[in-house]
Amino acid sequence: MQVFTRATAEAAPCAVFDDARRPCVIAADTRARALGVHSGEALMAAHAIAPDVVFRARDTALEVATLDELAAACARFTPSLALAPPDTILLEVSASLRLFGGREALLQALADTLTGLGLIMRSGLAPTPLAAHWFALAATTAPVGPGWQDALDALPLEVLGIGTDVSAATLELLAELGLQRLAQVRRLPREGLARRQARAVLDALARARGEVPDPRRWHEPPARFASTLALPVATANTEPLLFAVSRLVAGLIAWLAARHAGIDRFTLELVHEDHSVTSFVIISGEPLRENSRLMLLTRERLSALTLPAPVDTLRLIADAPVLRPGRTPDLFGDPARNHENAVLLLDRLRARLGPQAVRRIAPWPDHRPERASRMLPVDAPAGDESTTCAPRPAWLLERPRPIGAAEGLEFVAGPERIESGWWDGADLQRDYFVVRAPDAALWWVFRDHSDDGWYLHGHFG
Amino acid sequence: MAASSALEALPSGLVWRADRLARGTTPGEPTGFAALDHELPGGGWPREGIVELLATTPGIGEIELLLPLLARTGVDRLVVWVAPPRLPYAPALAHSGIPLERMPVVVAQDAAAAIWATRQALASGACHAVLAWIERIDMAALRRLQLAAEDSATPLFLYRPPQAARQPSPAVLRLALAGDRAGLHVDILKRRGPPATEPLTLPLSRSVGDPAHAVDRPAPARAVRAGVHARHG
Repeated sequence: MQVFTRATAEAAPCAVFDDARRPCVIAADTRARALGVHSGEALMAAHAIAPDVVFRARDTALEVATLDELAAACARFTPSLALAPPDTILLEVSASLRLFGGREALLQALADTLTGLGLIMRSGLAPTPLAAHWFALAATTAPVGPGWQDALDALPLEVLGIGTDVSAATLELLAELGLQRLAQVRRLPREGLARRQARAVLDALARARGEVPDPRRWHEPPARFASTLALPVATANTEPLLFAVSRLVAGLIAWLAARHAGIDRFTLELVHEDHSVTSFVIISGEPLRENSRLMLLTRERLSALTLPAPVDTLRLIADAPVLRPGRTPDLFGDPARNHENAVLLLDRLRARLGPQAVRRIAPWPDHRPERASRMLPVDAPAGDESTTCAPRPAWLLERPRPIGAAEGLEFVAGPERIESGWWDGADLQRDYFVVRAPDAALWWVFRDHSDDGWYLHGHFG
Repeated sequence: MAASSALEALPSGLVWRADRLARGTTPGEPTGFAALDHELPGGGWPREGIVELLATTPGIGEIELLLPLLARTGVDRLVVWVAPPRLPYAPALAHSGIPLERMPVVVAQDAAAAIWATRQALASGACHAVLAWIERIDMAALRRLQLAAEDSATPLFLYRPPQAARQPSPAVLRLALAGDRAGLHVDILKRRGPPATEPLTLPLSRSVGDPAHAVDRPAPARAVRAGVHARHG
């Protein structure tokens, strides 16, 4: 359910149905329930009762992807975490409690992270993973200290089917015996249970109580961040898109935080209703992990974009995290602030106008004037920028302009013969002069030997 | 005469006399041209606000006027060129000692984009100076740029066509530039303080080589092709 609603701040009432032959509603939010849509109902019936509710088909792949993203986000709290599909993540936090300031503070930080992702958390805390899983379902927490296992006894019978090998048939059998709480299950004769193919029940109880070990395979965080978000309603407006992007960026930041890294480029893909994709890369001048700056760049980029069609799904891909050491704040102002302002300015200009529109010029060792100056990306490092000492104008025309005859011009300096480039086909033979035009401006003109014409090539600004 | 000497005896800065330029609290940034420094309030370019340069035609020395200032760009400071009408030529500027790696050139599609980029550059506080070429700009946009320039204490050198002199402007300094055989002809249209009386002519080095080598002969004879290589086209 949440995989559909997280992309927007104000969702319409929503319900999810499964893909069985007779589709049934399997989850409905509070507002949908208020309209009379309940899980278990046939889709057709639900449609008839509440036409305003948005019905979505269950998307298992999206659920798995979201769980992965959540795991990445949780990785900053502990490196030891295990997935319990379809909807649960188990964190081994005993080593992290001190760092995050105790149980309450840790849970709060976890809840804040999830809120940023647009998900709602239900948590439970216990010394064994299975017990924690069960407590989370009941939204309770185990008491601290010896004897915590007694708190398990109060849990309802249904939790036995969650995260264990206990089959639905066994659960039904137990329920028919009139059992409602785990305490009652525990009081049943063990041999009897084992005889009725219910060994799994004993096993689950033992694992939950910590009587037998319960090894888990730790989740390995992906080396590449890719997250997909489906919008509840396709839109071409920037604001709802930005809100959805903020959810993705929150996940990206958590992923980066777990790796102590920043990111200096990521790809945002907008999938349209007709499955065409608008994709663009957002580049920053230095590795970032700050929500405000990542969002600012995205905002500039999105607002400069005209979308060909409404957007259905968003995808954010980042695969090159850059290690970023922490920085200690300086007592007397931040000496790097100037540099940061400059980088931020260039990022902003590039995000809005495009990287091609913001560049720097650099000299290049070639005698041909057209090739002696190059446009580089604005953050290209300074190379060997030695230059000629012959007179050169501050402005160069992109292509020389024929000026007819050289009459009315006063020669100030020259000629300087430039004859070069026979080896690569861009051969030229020219005599360059500095001349004074009638309005006293200084021009850089040349006479081309190939056609004997006079051309204006630059202005001495 | 007595009153005048009594005034002279007062500590400087206490009384401002209307026929003098205010040389007060914020000294300017030296322009590199003594004659111009003498005429500008603060003895140099203002450190914040718009400086309008109304130039007639390219090639009169409108860039050379700023070269001394631009060559002093500090480490970690930028000089942003917004929407220059032609391509700035790297060899010449590098030769003048301008750190090109800190000189981003912004290409703008239209005046609105140019104004936006100028304002961002000013507001960032990361710029030593901002140079912008904007032909058409209305009073409201000028005022916003002036405010942004004042807030971040950044000078904006705004190149405009000479016709713009007829339009009022919130700029702190307006100079009309024209070419002159002896150098750059500067007419101070507006400054803080009493209006300037007469135009100046700044001597430019024009880095075009020794004038003794100036030619007053016709163009050299056409080069004879030596036939060493095959020519294309």
